Amino acid sequence: MSDEEFFTQALARYERPLISYAKCITGDWESAKDAVQETFLRLSRENLKELEPRLAAWLFAVCRTRAIDYRRKVVRFVSPDEGSLEQTPDDQPAPLEQLAQAEDRTKLAELLARLPENQREVVKLKFEAGLSYREISQVTRHSVSNVGFLLHTAIQTLRRQWNPSTQLPTLS
Amino acid sequence: MESLHSTSHLVMKTEDTRITQYALGELTGPEREAFENEMATDPALLEEVRQTQMLCESLPTHLETETAFSDDERAALLAKIRSEQMEAQAKKSRAIWSRVVIYGGLAAAACVMVNLSVPAVTSSSHRENRELASSGISDPGYSLAAKPQAAGTPFLLVTATAVPMPLDDSARLESEQSEKQLQADLGTDHTGSSGKLQEELNRQLAAAHASLVAVEASASHTKLNLPTEPTALSIPKQTSALAAAPAAPRGNWKSNDARREGASVASQSVDAPELTMKILGGTGSAFGAEQEADVVSGYRPQKQSDFNTEGYDYQEENRFLNAKENPLSTFSIDVDTASYSNVRRFLQQQNQLPPKGAVRTEELINYFPYTYPQPEGSDPFSVNVEVSKAPWNSAHELVRIGLKGRELAVDKRPASNLVFLIDVSGSMNTPDKLPLLQKSLIELTSRLASKDRVAIVVYAGSSGLVLPSTANKSEIRVALERLNAGGSTNGAEGIKLAYREARENFIEEGNNRVILCTDGDFNVGVTSEQALVDLIEKQRASGIFLSVLGFGTGNLKDSQMEKIADKGNGNYAYIDSIAEGRKVLGEQMGGTLFTIAKDVKIQVEFNPRAVAGYRLIGYENRVLAKEDFNNDKKDAGEIGAGHTVTAFYEVVPAGQPLPDADSVDALKYQTPVSETRNSQSNELLTVKLRYKQPEGDTSKLLQVPVANAVKEWNAASEDFRFAAAVAAFGLKLRGSKSVKDLDWSQIQKLARPNLGEDPGSYRAEFLTLIEKVRRISGENSDR
Repeated sequence: MSDEEFFTQALARYERPLISYAKCITGDWESAKDAVQETFLRLSRENLKELEPRLAAWLFAVCRTRAIDYRRKVVRFVSPDEGSLEQTPDDQPAPLEQLAQAEDRTKLAELLARLPENQREVVKLKFEAGLSYREISQVTRHSVSNVGFLLHTAIQTLRRQWNPSTQLPTLS
Repeated sequence: MESLHSTSHLVMKTEDTRITQYALGELTGPEREAFENEMATDPALLEEVRQTQMLCESLPTHLETETAFSDDERAALLAKIRSEQMEAQAKKSRAIWSRVVIYGGLAAAACVMVNLSVPAVTSSSHRENRELASSGISDPGYSLAAKPQAAGTPFLLVTATAVPMPLDDSARLESEQSEKQLQADLGTDHTGSSGKLQEELNRQLAAAHASLVAVEASASHTKLNLPTEPTALSIPKQTSALAAAPAAPRGNWKSNDARREGASVASQSVDAPELTMKILGGTGSAFGAEQEADVVSGYRPQKQSDFNTEGYDYQEENRFLNAKENPLSTFSIDVDTASYSNVRRFLQQQNQLPPKGAVRTEELINYFPYTYPQPEGSDPFSVNVEVSKAPWNSAHELVRIGLKGRELAVDKRPASNLVFLIDVSGSMNTPDKLPLLQKSLIELTSRLASKDRVAIVVYAGSSGLVLPSTANKSEIRVALERLNAGGSTNGAEGIKLAYREARENFIEEGNNRVILCTDGDFNVGVTSEQALVDLIEKQRASGIFLSVLGFGTGNLKDSQMEKIADKGNGNYAYIDSIAEGRKVLGEQMGGTLFTIAKDVKIQVEFNPRAVAGYRLIGYENRVLAKEDFNNDKKDAGEIGAGHTVTAFYEVVPAGQPLPDADSVDALKYQTPVSETRNSQSNELLTVKLRYKQPEGDTSKLLQVPVANAVKEWNAASEDFRFAAAVAAFGLKLRGSKSVKDLDWSQIQKLARPNLGEDPGSYRAEFLTLIEKVRRISGENSDR
């Protein structure tokens, strides 16, 4: 595979999840795209052969750093109050009634947005990028068991809110 | 968590991270077994797992991954990646390019084809271009593909860049080391027509003490060491001509068995300025080992045709048409001049007559500036018609239609947004291509105003943005100097990228233009010439103009390049020397760069009372159907600021027989022509022109009636007579019967008194070209 093909395929495979992931960090699509661009530019300087087996983790890890850089810039000037990735989880979901009528996707997006950032992040890495616990751990530098915990918490929260008709007592 | 307090059972379960882990397939081995056993006994847990699995399955489809790069963003990113890689490649360029370091008096670009046989090629890569960088020469970046020279391949092309620089220690060390590693032979005996070669060498090469100290060859860094005394090269001392030689001359030594001291002579510690040279691999297998020794300074052997892949479309010359049956003659203007410089190249450098298809008479005529007056009214050009006798047939008349585009004062020029689209494919690897191109574009850059922007896109196996649009002239210069050739061509991709870059930096009411520099060898990636032409045609709508600059020999796809320029609202020039580069991109830059009217069409209506028949000289591939004249969708030629466009009709006056007119039976059902009252007037013809403003979509019509007043030859203007001589020259080169009575020296005589002021001495040079043709064709010069 030529480098050209490599990049085309890497873009085809990871471009969307990367942008989405970056956006959950930066908060806006433009800088998310910029972060992803920079990620691929960085990639072009790497030894692709060596990198290939751990490409996904590498891409998301680099993208994460870039995106956090972007957010720092924004945060500094725009909204210094916005939480950082490292902050402790805020586990208070918003009232669900507001979401009752929402379309699935919108609803899910809202639900996701209400997740604490570190949970949202691992959800994206898991479900958009398809990374394994171990890869997620490499990207986020959380331990694997911590990744498991974050994902589990996020999933169960989503499950409760996503499908309120299930037999969860608090919601029925 | 709020659910913690709801039901202890649920809390227990939801706390169990294994649920998610299991659902996601992350639970393995004994843990998984244990969990499955638990599930089997706990329906609540099983239900939780089932729901979690369902959610996990549906989650990916509900996430917001619909945002991606736009196609443009993605392409730009890929382009950036490519140039990043090229940069990286540049660092490794030692593995691709080899450099010959010459010490001595050589102070200008020189290019030598060295026939090397390299029995042992050893590798010593991993070297950075330290000495290059430290001496202010940018590293020879942007090599897109390696063309390592296989050991034993007999010819290496050596080109030189003309920047003197001191040899630093690392380089010297390196050369000493590799000297030990290598046994390399440099055959330097110029066999073959050695007399001629020797003479050429003596005249051109020179720089007496020039000695190759180190040749670092390809992938392998082969080093050759040559003695300081020019024994091997036998380059005489006196020549300084080279220093002034504009285009890098070319040399080629045939390897004789003579194992020269090359490898055995220790590298000299020379403090003299040096030349860096690149050895380029593979100048074409056609240069077989048996091939006769070739040349210095552009002289090429007659064996050309063995490997020449130049492409020319031959268009039969326009025939005489009966003015009664075909009263209208319609054509698109053509300001291209490429054919002239290409013809010149054939004559001067290759010592042969050009193929007929390479001669486009109108381009020969239009090569020369004429002193037509500036336009007076609001129209962007003036129309100047003159009628005199045809010098090659006293019974015929010549009608000259001359257009002169309005000159643009430097400060009136619109801002320019230029994208240099540069072919850096392997075929550009000769001194008459890339190095000439670099010099020419640097020449152009030096004439740009501060508001003008330039971007550089290169293409080869892949294409990339080398320089994003900038107005910083020194940045442009540096980027140009760094260009390096290698790889094969993907013209289409490069063209797309260049247009994109031009669009992104589009200047409203400015001069937005892609300047394609190539030898025209689009051989990879494009399905067909037609596909490429279509691609260009599509880009035309964007308001971006195209200039095509052709370079080089042996591979020139002349017909294709003209077509591309034609379709892209552009012009095409062929640059065979730095002088030509200066003409096209320097003196006549206004005409090359600033389009003042587009889709300029000419339609001539002949008065059958005065004209029996006529033919258009040249413009064979520009002839339009008469309906096309009023059709604004029909593309036609552009005229640039200060450009002159000249067309000749050869007219057979009424009452004279038409040459080569085949007889047609009289029509059975109609009587052909009924004349209007206007035909009674003393008008020979009417010239109609249509043009559009550069940004316009609708054309404007001009009409110029021409009286039937034929000047005697001697009363005609100098411009007229000179242009007529050029027309005769073109016709004769094309083998036209119409000028068979005129021999070369007569054409020379027609031209000689009519040089006028001749700024740039282009007309004087024309005389020497005729002389050359005369010699080649063996015409007796005493005539």
